[in-house]
Amino acid sequence: MQNFDLLMHGFSIAISVPHIALMIGGVLLGILVGVLPGLGAPNGVSLLLPITFGMQPVSAIILLSSIYWGALFGGSVTSILFNIPGEPSSVATTFDGYPMARSGRATQALATAFGSAAFGAMVGVVLITCLASWIAGVALEFGPAEYFAVYFLAFSSFIGVGGSPPMKTVVSLTIGFAIAAIGMDTVSGQVRLTMGIDELVKGVNFVVAVMGLFGIGELLIAVEEEMHARAVSSRIDWGEVFRTIVGLPRHGWVLLRSAAIGCWMGITPGGPTAASFMSYGIAKRVSRRRDKFGTGEPEGIVAPETADHAAGTSALLPMLSLGIPGSATAAVMMGGLMIWGLNPGPALFTEQPDFVWGLIASMYLGNIVAVILVLLTVPIFAALMRLPFFIIAPLIFIVCVVGAYSVSNSYLDVVLMMGFGVLGYLFKKLDYPLAPLVLAIVIGDKAEDAFRQSMLMSQGSLGIFFGNALVTTLVAMGFALLVVPPLLRLIGVWRRPVRPA
Amino acid sequence: MFSRRALEALTAAITGAFGIAILVQSLDNGIGWSSAGVESGTFPFMTGLIVVAGSLYNLARGWLRGREIVVTAVEFRRTVALFLPAVVYVALIPLLGMYVTSGLYLLATLRLQNGMSLLRSVLVAVVVSVGLYLVFEWSFQVALPHGLLGAWLER
Amino acid sequence: MRTLKFAAALIAATTLAAPAFAWQPTKAIEFVATAGPGGGTDNFARAVQAAIVKNKLLDQAIVVVNKGGGSGAEGYTYEKGMAGDPYHLVFGTSNTWQQPMVSKVAFKQSDFTPIAAMVQDEFLLWVKQDGPKDVKAYIEAMKARNGAGKMGGAQSKDTDELLTRMIEKTAGIKMIYVPFKSGAEAAVQLAGGHVDSHVNNPSESIGQWKGGTQRPLCVFNTKRLAAGPKITATEGWSDIPTCVEAGLNIPLFQQPRTVWLPLKVTPEQTAFYVDLMKKVQATPEWKDYVEKSSQTQVFLTGAAFTDYMTQDMERVHKVAEEQGWLVK
Repeated sequence: MQNFDLLMHGFSIAISVPHIALMIGGVLLGILVGVLPGLGAPNGVSLLLPITFGMQPVSAIILLSSIYWGALFGGSVTSILFNIPGEPSSVATTFDGYPMARSGRATQALATAFGSAAFGAMVGVVLITCLASWIAGVALEFGPAEYFAVYFLAFSSFIGVGGSPPMKTVVSLTIGFAIAAIGMDTVSGQVRLTMGIDELVKGVNFVVAVMGLFGIGELLIAVEEEMHARAVSSRIDWGEVFRTIVGLPRHGWVLLRSAAIGCWMGITPGGPTAASFMSYGIAKRVSRRRDKFGTGEPEGIVAPETADHAAGTSALLPMLSLGIPGSATAAVMMGGLMIWGLNPGPALFTEQPDFVWGLIASMYLGNIVAVILVLLTVPIFAALMRLPFFIIAPLIFIVCVVGAYSVSNSYLDVVLMMGFGVLGYLFKKLDYPLAPLVLAIVIGDKAEDAFRQSMLMSQGSLGIFFGNALVTTLVAMGFALLVVPPLLRLIGVWRRPVRPA
Repeated sequence: MFSRRALEALTAAITGAFGIAILVQSLDNGIGWSSAGVESGTFPFMTGLIVVAGSLYNLARGWLRGREIVVTAVEFRRTVALFLPAVVYVALIPLLGMYVTSGLYLLATLRLQNGMSLLRSVLVAVVVSVGLYLVFEWSFQVALPHGLLGAWLER
Repeated sequence: MRTLKFAAALIAATTLAAPAFAWQPTKAIEFVATAGPGGGTDNFARAVQAAIVKNKLLDQAIVVVNKGGGSGAEGYTYEKGMAGDPYHLVFGTSNTWQQPMVSKVAFKQSDFTPIAAMVQDEFLLWVKQDGPKDVKAYIEAMKARNGAGKMGGAQSKDTDELLTRMIEKTAGIKMIYVPFKSGAEAAVQLAGGHVDSHVNNPSESIGQWKGGTQRPLCVFNTKRLAAGPKITATEGWSDIPTCVEAGLNIPLFQQPRTVWLPLKVTPEQTAFYVDLMKKVQATPEWKDYVEKSSQTQVFLTGAAFTDYMTQDMERVHKVAEEQGWLVK
C-alpha cells in the first residue's frame, strides 16, 4: 500500500505538459532508431545524453526511457515486414510475423505485435510497482550456477519444437555455439577461433548474423520462388488496427502465460531474448493450433512479443536497485545517472523516492504513449509492403549493409553478413532450422561462461548444479522439458490435442 | 540446374569445413581441465567434433536422397541477378564509400535491371543516399565509410 | 537539435582564435573508447569529449566510437590500422601494454604513439556487509577457507586478477579467482554472497556501499582517498584505511587511463594533442568527472609516461611469469 501512495506521488510528478511532450519526442525518436537496423536505443540515448545534463534528473530519465520504449516497439517492425530482426529479442517474432505479413495481413501482424507488447510491458510495470523490494532480492540469489540453469532451461524449452531433421538441428545448434565462442574468452582471457583474422577478436555480432541469415537469406529465397509475383495488397486501414486490438483478449491465456515467462526471465537474469524464445517454444508445444505455427499464426506473435516486453520492462528494476545494467541502453542510462550525481543501487529507492517513483510512473505513461503512437504508424509501415519487389530488394540490401556496418563501424561485418546471407539461403532451402543457430549465437557464450565459472567455484564438481533448491528446480525443469515431450509422444499421449486450460 | 544432392553436398561441405577449422583452432587454446578451470578450447573442440560428425551424416543422407532438381536454371538466374549486383555493391564500398556506392547500386538495379525511368531512378538513388547521410552522419554521428574517394576529397 | 549543433559549430568557428601550433586538425576527430557504452573507459572518453566541446577547446567535431569487443582489443586493433592518421585517438587503460603480454592479440604497446595518462583509478578491497570486519579478519577467514575462498573480478588476467594474485602472495593465502564480464557484475555477485570479495574501483561499487550490501576494507594507495561527502551515515572515502595501514603490504595499485595516437604521426600532431589534454584537465567538467568517480588526477606524458609504463610492465611481467600467463 505504501508503494501505491508513492506511485500516486510519482504520477503527480510525471504528469505535466513538458513531461508528456518529452515522452512523445522520446518515443518518436526511439521508434526511428528502433526501425533502422544497426541503430538502436543506445544511439538515441547517447545522442540526447549531453542535452539532458541541464535538466532535472526526473525529466531526463523520462526522456531517455521513452526512447527505450519507442525503440523496443520499433524493433519489431522490420522483423515482421522484412524478416530482419533489429535486435536479438525480436527474432522469435519473425517466425510467424513475417509469414503473416507476406500473406497480406501486415496490418494485423503489426497491431498484434504492438498490442501484446504493450500488455507485456504493463504487466512488467505492475510487477515492479508491487514487488520492487522483493524482486531486487530474488535477483541476488543468482550466481553462475543459477545463470547456467536459466540458460539451460531456455534452450531445452525451445529445442526440439521444430520439425527439422534431428541431425540438421544438431549441426545448426553447434555451429551457433562455435560462432558464439569466437573472440576473447571471458573466463580465460584467451583469444579463440579467430581463423587468422585479427579483427575477429571482437567476436561475431549477433545483429550481423541475423541480418544475413534472415534478411538476405529470405530475400534470396523470395526472388527464387518469385514471391514478389504474388502482389500483397494492404490498404491503409486504421479500422483493422482497432479490430485486431479489440480481438487480442481471445489470446488471453497465451498473453498471461507469456507475460509470466517474460517477468520471470526479466527478474532472473535470463533477459528478453531468452524469454521470447522460451515463450514461443512453450506456446508451440501446448497450443491447440501448434501445427499452424510458423505459417502466420497470431499466437506465434503474441507469445514472443509479450514475453520480450515483460522481460525488458522488469529488467529495468535490477538496474535501478542493484546497478546491473541489463542492456547497452541501460548501461548508457546508468552512466547518465552517475553524471547527474545519482548512484544506482539499493539506496536509490530510499534516497531519491521522487526520482524512482517518477520514473516508474513514467513507465506506465511512456508505454501508453508509445503504443498509441506506434499503432498510429502501423498502416504507414504496412503500406511499405505495397512497394514493388524490385525496389524493396535493393533497399533491403542497403539497409542490411548499412546496419551491419554501423554495429561496430566495421567493413568486415558487412562481408560476414553477406556470407551469412548465403548460409541462410542454403539452410532454409535444405530444412536446416535457423532458430537454434540464432539462439546459440545469442546465449551460447553466456551459458558457457556461467558453466565454467560454476566449475571454477565448485572446483570441478557438477554437484554445484544441485547445490540448493533454486538451482535444482531450474535444472530439473530443464531436463523435464527436454525429456518428457518425446517420451509422451513415444507412448502416444501427446497426440491428443491439449486444451489451453 | 542444381539437384538436391548437389546442394546437400555443398552445404555439408561448408559446415564440415567450418567444423574442421574449429577443431584445429581450439587445439591452440588447450582442452580439458587445468588450475584455471575448464580450459578455453574444450567447448569449441566438442562443438567441432559434433559439427564434423553431423556434416558427414548429412552428406551421406543428402547423397542418398533423390536427384530431383531443387533449383532450376531460371530460378538460379533470378537469384544471381539479385545477389551479384549486391556483391559488387559491397566490394565497391572501400573504394567509393557508402553513400556514392548505395546511390549507384540503386541506380543500376532500378534503371538497368528493371527499366525504371531515368528521372525516377536517379531521384530514388539521390533521396536514399542523402537520407542515409542525414540520418547516420548528421544526426546520430555514426560515420559510414567514405572510401578512398572520400579520403581524396577530404585531402 | 540540429540547429543547436549548427549554432554551436558556428560560434566555435568564429570565436576561436587559432593558437600558435604547427598543426591544427581540419576535420572531425574520432575518439575510440576501448569499452562498451557505460564502461569506465567509455565514461573517460566521453568526459574528455564533454570538456572539449563545452569549453570550445577545438573547432572540430568529436565523435566517440565504442569498440569494446575482446576486452578492448577490438579498439586497439582498429587504432593500429590507422597509422599516419592523426584523427583517431584511442582511449584505454594499462591494457595497452598488459593485454599483449597475456593474450594473443594483434597489437602491442609499441604500435601506438603515447599522448598521456590522465587519471588513475583506485582499487579497494570489498567484502559483503556482514563479511570480515577488517583486513586482518579477512585474511584469517581466507586462510580458514583453505583455498576455497572466492574473489570475483572483471575479466581474466586483467588488473583485477593481477591484484588478486599479488594479495595472495603478500598475505600468504590461496583464493579462487572468478572472472565476470564487468566490475558491476562482480559487485552483484558479492551482494548475493556468491563470491567473498572483489577489488572494484570506487565508482563501480559506491551504490552498493551506500545501500549497505557491501563495504570497502582498504584502499591500495599510499595515502587515503580525498574526503568528499559522507557515503554512508558514518563513513566517507577518507575513513577507509590504506591497505598498508590495515596490514596488507601492497602500497600502491592503480589503473591509469591513457590516451594514444596511432604510429607515424608527426611530433607537431602529438604536441597538439598533449596540449589539448592538458587544457582539458583545467576545465570544471573534467574536475567534476574526476571527483564524482573518486579517481586521482595525474598528467604523465613524454618521458615520465614512458618511465611509468616501463615500471608497470616489469611488475606485470613478474606476476604473469609466476602465474604462467605469458603468451608463448
